[in-house]
Amino acid sequence: MSQDEQYLSAIAEFGPALVRLARTYEPDPDQRRDLLQDVYLALWRSFALYAGQCSLRTWVYRVAHNTAISARLRRRKARLVSLEELADIPAPDDPEGAAGNAHVLARLQTLIRRLAPPDDQVMLLYLEDQDAASIAEITGLSPGAVATRIHRIKQLLSSQFHQGDGA
Amino acid sequence: MTDPKTVWKTQESEENEMSNIAEVRVRADRLQAGTRTRNIALYAYSAFSIAVSLWLVARGAFPAMRYPMLLMVAAHLLVLWQVNQRITARSLPADMAARPALDFHREQLERQAHGLSRAWLWYMMPFLVPFAWELAIMLHRIQTGEAPPENMRLLLVFVVVGICFWTAVLLAFSRAALKAQLQIERLNAVKAE
Repeated sequence: MSQDEQYLSAIAEFGPALVRLARTYEPDPDQRRDLLQDVYLALWRSFALYAGQCSLRTWVYRVAHNTAISARLRRRKARLVSLEELADIPAPDDPEGAAGNAHVLARLQTLIRRLAPPDDQVMLLYLEDQDAASIAEITGLSPGAVATRIHRIKQLLSSQFHQGDGA
Repeated sequence: MTDPKTVWKTQESEENEMSNIAEVRVRADRLQAGTRTRNIALYAYSAFSIAVSLWLVARGAFPAMRYPMLLMVAAHLLVLWQVNQRITARSLPADMAARPALDFHREQLERQAHGLSRAWLWYMMPFLVPFAWELAIMLHRIQTGEAPPENMRLLLVFVVVGICFWTAVLLAFSRAALKAQLQIERLNAVKAE
């Protein structure tokens, strides 16, 4: 497949996930559009070098997350925290608001934005339904470290969204 | 209660204007053009500084300051070149783009920390040497009576402002380097898990 074909195939399959990633990291619509364009451009350029070194999914997610890392490094914001620290923050007591999907989504995005790398990446990939092995491959963490983080994420989601069994 | 994962995966998507290859190529070209413009702006600034300084030297405006002024021009050029080399490009190099995220992040931070921790050498020193030279010439001229004694007050202002400014710059660079180093150590600990 040519570079263009690989790019088109990748965005057809992972485009919605890339939009979700950009939406999570950049609440501002203009900056989100910039980040998304940066991701797409990095992806297109990267396919000039893609020769099946890893799965297409791993490649796409790595490029997307690395582009987001660069954007975050350029724009220093509030102090980021680890999963353990985030777990100590109590969930808002708002049963009516918590019932709405938009509210759940907004809270998920806020939680991820407050997390320091690589915890934010692990949580985002977990929500994207990636398994522990894939997350380890994308992030460079050991499978054990990913498993620990997924366990904490499930606890966090459970406490923040009052679920019986996490996600 | 709705499952957060389900809510996450059923977010509304957005129209992707980058699904057209022609559009991608246009944006890629625009990105490269932006980098070229940034470089041209840097070099134009250098050319302007050189032209003004050389014009002053040629006119003999400040004969005693001729060599420090020339050195200051060289300092501008050196620092501009260093900034150009060290500032992160807006786009990622394609060969780095698909590295594992943790390794990529650490390399970016290491590059940043390296530049910041040596800022005294590549950013401050080139300016400090001609600045100190100019102050020394001013002092010498006052002491030898070539300049009026009242200029001593001006010299002291330059010294105090210089010390305050460069100390603030050094502290800012050191603080940023320390923050980057702490993040590197945190990522190293995560990697070792």
